[in-house]
Amino acid sequence: MSIAAALPDSRPLERARRHLTPLAAGLTLLIIVVAVVAAFPLAWMILTSLKTPQETMHVPPVWLPATPSLDAYAKVAGVISIGRSFLNSAIIALVTTAAILVTSLMAGYAFAKYRFRYREALFALLIATMFLPPIVTLIPLYRIVGYLGLTGSLAGVVVPNLANAFGIFLMRQFIRGVPDELIEAARVDGASELRVLFQIVAPSVLPAIAALTLFAFVYHWNSYLWPLTVLQGSADQYPIVISLSRLLSYNRGAMNTGLVMAGATLAVLPPVVLFVLLQRFFVDSVISSGVKG
Amino acid sequence: MSRSQTQSTVAMLAPATGLIAVFIFVPMLLTIWLSFQSWSTETGFETARFIGVQNFIDIFSGSSIGRDFKSALVNTLIYTVFSVLLILPLSVLLGLLVHQKLAPGGVVLRTVLFSTYMVPMIAVALVFSKLYSPTEGPINQVLGWIGIPPQSWLSSPQTALGSIVILNVWQQVGYFTVLAVAGLTQIPEVLHEAARIDGAGSLRRFRSITLPLLGNTLLFSAVIAIINSVQVFEPVALITQGGPINATNVLTYHIRRVGIERAQGGLGSAMAVTLMLSLVIIITALFAFARPRDERPA
Repeated sequence: MSIAAALPDSRPLERARRHLTPLAAGLTLLIIVVAVVAAFPLAWMILTSLKTPQETMHVPPVWLPATPSLDAYAKVAGVISIGRSFLNSAIIALVTTAAILVTSLMAGYAFAKYRFRYREALFALLIATMFLPPIVTLIPLYRIVGYLGLTGSLAGVVVPNLANAFGIFLMRQFIRGVPDELIEAARVDGASELRVLFQIVAPSVLPAIAALTLFAFVYHWNSYLWPLTVLQGSADQYPIVISLSRLLSYNRGAMNTGLVMAGATLAVLPPVVLFVLLQRFFVDSVISSGVKG
Repeated sequence: MSRSQTQSTVAMLAPATGLIAVFIFVPMLLTIWLSFQSWSTETGFETARFIGVQNFIDIFSGSSIGRDFKSALVNTLIYTVFSVLLILPLSVLLGLLVHQKLAPGGVVLRTVLFSTYMVPMIAVALVFSKLYSPTEGPINQVLGWIGIPPQSWLSSPQTALGSIVILNVWQQVGYFTVLAVAGLTQIPEVLHEAARIDGAGSLRRFRSITLPLLGNTLLFSAVIAIINSVQVFEPVALITQGGPINATNVLTYHIRRVGIERAQGGLGSAMAVTLMLSLVIIITALFAFARPRDERPA
């Protein structure tokens, strides 16, 4: 596993290291440059949100605010109802995520541990939907949700997204690793299948649950196309990502730069903070979906 | 016993399969059916009237409907090709940088790169619209320092689509880097050791070991990158509205404009079916192309 174990004889490694010192220095420099370039847009966003309007309009651009101020954030609250937008985003992201966890655990468990006819075919059919761009189904879906009377409501945003193929796939991958003996023992004790799933199987796939929670939360916090389509006009139902667009049309031109950056910073915070806290699980699950899939 | 097994199988599968059937499979079949109908999105499905392949004739005709759609198709193709051609090599190079053990900082770099993938596309679009600003934006300023004249970025038809490719690559490359790292981790260290003992330099080892063994990862990455690229919507909807002069009119934006905003559901569905068929053809071709490469000796 570790690099030291893979190279039992330390002599060639040491020789290599002495040779490569300038290379190591070069690589370190390269890593720093790449990280700075990658982080630059977000750093610029935060810095600009703290500038005065004069600084944001200055030519050439001012990089650091002379006296950082939170005025732009206060102004955002005056243009859009930020609390309501955050609440809407939170409802959309949390309800969808909770439902996806339950539906994915159930289906993932069946595909991993049950034997039934057409199992592989059904699984393949579901997985195929992972590769279908949402625009392909958007037009009839808009009408179907209209039939259900959900247009213009948060329910309309949430209901079509309560299950997805990625979640089923991820759960099946991890539940396959749960020992059959564990499940059999619980069944012998008379536990129902739902009990087995939620009290025995689910606790042993917590990393997958963490990863799916984060993926689903981030995806639905960020999603734009479907909420925009189904909510059109109902401004009080807008999630933060849609409310943000109103900042851009407020005071068109350079005048709104600080405002736009402050709003963007607020919208970015929940998914990025969540990611930094739990990135271990994200990375593990990307690896398992990429390599095994 | 067997009967209760069947019951639990059905019970476990019903919620997810039912939801996916109603909200993905049924709409997909309806899209195909609607592509042969004259239908307004504002009315019920029962008002649809069969018109054969007329929608397809219209969207490929020389009329304004056809011209706009064909420009969206070509723009999406250009956008996708450039995104994939930038993302794949970058993800391998950045993956090597994260994976290497000679210099510290790999994990920090991975965190920074992957965190951009968590940023809502709408925020990415907003931030880049300001970064690209010809006068107040820092990008032209930095280019000026190294002697490159100011660019017009999103405001010129020549550069607008490329500017959106760049912001897309910035947002997405971290995800593909993590995939590349996963692929690199799977390559047994002994192969590199053996080649090193045989006197193979690092470039030679990269070409003869790393690249061929990354084949499956790269194929998976290419498919995902294509699927992600055809979904580009936010920067176009928010910043350019398809302009200037149709330069950034891409399929997701155009299909929504026709099928939802103009309520021309039949035409929009024909466009969506064309997109779906194009994807099937491209991805099948990709797999056919990748297969013989797999069998080539390393």
